[in-house]
Amino acid sequence: MASLTIWFSALFIIIPLLFSARQKLALEKEIAVSALRCAIQLFLIGYVLQYIFASNHPVLIALLLLMMLLVATWNAARRGAGIPGIHWRIASAMIFSELVTMSLLIGTGSIKLTPQYLVPLSGMILGNAMVVSGLFLSQLKREVNSSRGEIETLLSLGATRRQAIQPVIKRVIKASMIPTFDTMKTMGLVQLPGTMTGMIIAGASPVDAVKYQIMIMFSLAAAATLSAMVLALLCYSLWYTPEGYLREQEQ
Amino acid sequence: MSMLLQLKQLAKKRPGSTDSYLFRNLSAAVAEPQIIHLLGFSGQGKSTLLRIIARLSGADAGELYLFDQPMAAYSPEEWRSTVCYVAQQPIMLPGSVEDNLRIASHLQQIPFDRDYARQLMERMELHLDWSKAAAQLSGGEKQRLALIRALLLRPRILLLDEVTSALDIHSQHAVEQVLLELQRSEGTAQIWVTHQLEQARRISQRIWFLAEEQLLEDSSPQAFFHSPRTEEARRFLQTSLEKVTN
Repeated sequence: MASLTIWFSALFIIIPLLFSARQKLALEKEIAVSALRCAIQLFLIGYVLQYIFASNHPVLIALLLLMMLLVATWNAARRGAGIPGIHWRIASAMIFSELVTMSLLIGTGSIKLTPQYLVPLSGMILGNAMVVSGLFLSQLKREVNSSRGEIETLLSLGATRRQAIQPVIKRVIKASMIPTFDTMKTMGLVQLPGTMTGMIIAGASPVDAVKYQIMIMFSLAAAATLSAMVLALLCYSLWYTPEGYLREQEQ
Repeated sequence: MSMLLQLKQLAKKRPGSTDSYLFRNLSAAVAEPQIIHLLGFSGQGKSTLLRIIARLSGADAGELYLFDQPMAAYSPEEWRSTVCYVAQQPIMLPGSVEDNLRIASHLQQIPFDRDYARQLMERMELHLDWSKAAAQLSGGEKQRLALIRALLLRPRILLLDEVTSALDIHSQHAVEQVLLELQRSEGTAQIWVTHQLEQARRISQRIWFLAEEQLLEDSSPQAFFHSPRTEEARRFLQTSLEKVTN
């Protein structure tokens, strides 16, 4: 893409800016800052990726993946604000889903162990795990509060802490995974996803692009399931006191 | 002497308070499987006390003993299977009547005693289609089903929080008969919270009266209803009587 074209793309930002000004939405600053941040962050990561891909140094790749993991963890943990020990639990769930998914992709020969595959796919997997983890935590907080009676009834009937919260966890896992599967259902009908679009624009055959997209969508579904499952396993005990009482307050 | 249940110096602060207590230094013991009624004005912490005994809420101080063993000697689920709490608001678990009846056996990984469940349903005059969604039952049906669900666990101690409040007098008597029979034949101790003094008079074998942060009276129903020792208990009986006559 010619450098001049990227400057023309700034015209697109003028549309929301004008709309906000005319409708007095007071969003001009927000729009300008967002657009600027988006451009700067993407340029930065573009140059960083170019450097890392060229150097092909494992430490640099690991550092980049670590940064992605930290940002994704921090972002998802905001949904679980106030829950002690939530950061390491989210990070563990993400690392687990990343390791399993990438191992399968590499192990089956679907992708090569090169930064060109590893970095963008990890970004997608971690990004999806971040959305699922955030949804899971916010829904779990809400659902435990609204289902206190059900949990305590099960506890009264001799259920273990895990048994008592299990029905709630199931509902929450289901709810947090639905967006991933809804996206899969409409894929190709409503939206042409980023990877596929990018590959086609870059000159790849649409059928090849579709094959990659299918692989990515399926691996994202697996990553979403794994991160929700691991997070559920690591998190449920946080809703109980050490003595086994269901915590009184919303966390 | 071996004790079924002991409460030693229990204390519980009022919610959100640092120095105001619902009760403190509260001690009591249950030596034999009796039917005990826990009475008192509203807001004195009767339900809270039941929840503490059921190990659903924690006390701020004090200890609980079950069969002379401290609470810490039992896992929470062991304790709750032995000391079973039935809440005032019957919560139906998702699924059918049968799913609700089967839940205790499912949780405990023991065979479901269908005959016992059917017998309890009949004796409590609960004639239901077992495949019906539990959420669709009436308040009184839910209350009886929640009670039967707990009885299928065969607990040694039952904590009953206003469990007949939604029942007509006929069903109430049927439930009382089942619980009396259970106490006699299986030795199930019961602690009832109720606002119905008539019920306490009918079936109670012992009264605990909770007021002024204490169990002010721990006596036989005859002694409590005919010659209460404390002024507070006399005031409670008088107020309750006025409510009934009004």
